[in-house]
Amino acid sequence: MSEYFINTKDFNYLVSDLMDKSRVAAPAGEFGRKYWFDVDGDSLGRIDLTGYRTVEPCKAYLFKPTELVARYFDGDTHLSAGPLVLLGARACDLEGINVLDRVFGEGDQDPFYLVSREKTVLIGADCTDCGASCFCSLVGGGPYPTACFDLSLAVVPNGYVVEVGSEKGKKIIDDHRNIFARVLPPAAAAKKENREKVEAKLKRVNQGFSTGELSLLHKLNLENDIWRRLTKDCVECSACNFICPTCSCFLLVDEASSGLNRRHKLWDACLKAGYAKVAGGGNSRPRLFQRLQNRYHCKFDYSFDRLSRYTCVGCGRCIDGCAGNIDMREIFAALDREIKK
Amino acid sequence: MTSNPYQPIRAEIKEVIAETPQIKTFVLAPEKEIGFLSGQFMQVTIPGVGEAPFTPSSDPKKNDMIEFTVMKAGQATGRLHELKSGETVGLRGPFGHPYPLDKYHGKDVYIIGGGVGIAPLRALLLALFHELERLNKIELRLGARSPEDLPFKQEMPTWGKREKTNLVVTVDRGDEKWPGKVGVVTEIMLPGDVNPEAAAAIVCGPPIMMKFAVKKLLDLGFSDKDIYLSMEKNMSCGIGKCFHCNLGKHLCCVDGPVFTWEQVKEIPDPW
Repeated sequence: MSEYFINTKDFNYLVSDLMDKSRVAAPAGEFGRKYWFDVDGDSLGRIDLTGYRTVEPCKAYLFKPTELVARYFDGDTHLSAGPLVLLGARACDLEGINVLDRVFGEGDQDPFYLVSREKTVLIGADCTDCGASCFCSLVGGGPYPTACFDLSLAVVPNGYVVEVGSEKGKKIIDDHRNIFARVLPPAAAAKKENREKVEAKLKRVNQGFSTGELSLLHKLNLENDIWRRLTKDCVECSACNFICPTCSCFLLVDEASSGLNRRHKLWDACLKAGYAKVAGGGNSRPRLFQRLQNRYHCKFDYSFDRLSRYTCVGCGRCIDGCAGNIDMREIFAALDREIKK
Repeated sequence: MTSNPYQPIRAEIKEVIAETPQIKTFVLAPEKEIGFLSGQFMQVTIPGVGEAPFTPSSDPKKNDMIEFTVMKAGQATGRLHELKSGETVGLRGPFGHPYPLDKYHGKDVYIIGGGVGIAPLRALLLALFHELERLNKIELRLGARSPEDLPFKQEMPTWGKREKTNLVVTVDRGDEKWPGKVGVVTEIMLPGDVNPEAAAAIVCGPPIMMKFAVKKLLDLGFSDKDIYLSMEKNMSCGIGKCFHCNLGKHLCCVDGPVFTWEQVKEIPDPW
């Protein structure tokens, strides 16, 4: 993969140039945490690519919390999206987008997601730190992007090392050839050193949680009564669903106004009691523990039948967001202890 | 890019037939012809209210009209029941896997239905009648709570008069005019009805009835792969994206709604 160096001043120029043609969103720090924000001319300096992932995933840019998907019967549904650059997506964010790409793009396609995705440039970034809840290393990931990006950045002294990941990314380099330079050994060394430092910290943070093959762990505990105990602190708030970069369940909701019927696609949450309820009152998962257990199986077990991969990317946002302080990693460890009994 | 999978097409209600106090059949004329196979389902839109999934109850070979036999059970079905002939609904689909009719060739077909679950089985039966010569025989075992809860009252007796077809109907509670059997449907499933070594059983009905019918079929000697179930969960998008209908690792809308018992038996309480 080709690599280039870009200094900080030229990087700002590059972002300004991208902003002329696209909406650009990037992480910025606020109250000690990072959030995605829409960059404009005045806020260029707020972009902060250090640290680790943002509080919220970037899925909402592509899979909208609410979206008009049909006007019937004679209406025409507007199917278009403007160009977008997601700048500074972490490896976990990119893996999350990879899951969404496959869910919405494989088999019957969801054109609403795909039209937004097609117009999006993904610029990744290496993590320069890891959070207490980060556990990408337990699900086969790591703190720097290896796939699913157009360009990816590593913060180094005085600038960034830029890796090209696709034709879309290569075009950005080609269009701005004069601001990209060869990567000199100190920059390459700084990038490598940072990666090793964050990997080592991730390992330390997750010491004691390592449980081996999570898919098998879930399969073997499918009918174990331990789920009732493990999930007793869940309060059905569904924060884990909404803050997850790969949770993509939605609801179709119809409304009538001014003689026209509209259908909206809305984020939904599998933890909600009514999620699987059918007319007449039947419910496949009437108990809360069954719904939370189903969420785990969806990500670590059923995901293999469907996509041959985990659909958890280890970002740890569900841990941060949980009102009941449930830590996925502690559940893995408990399941592991169960099968070793 | 594919066309919009969430956009319904218009269908005019041509006739509404009251089957039971709770069940009506809606005869629809879609603006475009819809080809479906028995066992597949469609999303019926009640304009401005929402959608609900139903398996058509009409002959799949009849493409200009499509019938849905619907029990009043929730918000959408309640509103649907208020609609009259001449009004408009929407349709999306068909979705999912149909009954694999070719696998029933040369065999006894054992059809077990309860209540409004008889609706999809009617479409299956009408499809099977087109290929009776390829089947060994059809044994129908149908049930409802009471005589008045039986759908297709006029038509049902004619099914049993078809060549190679036997029909037994039961009700949980009879009345003074009811000449038939009284009891749950599993009580009219008897050894000798069919040869389980060369038969396919198809079950559709309320979850509790399906659960006990499967148990009975296994007791009668059916193998897991010869028991076909219509697992209708909370299907919404119909294209495997919204995940509302997940049944263990399966999504009912794309992997089903027709499953064999072999496919779902490992799922704890799949009903």
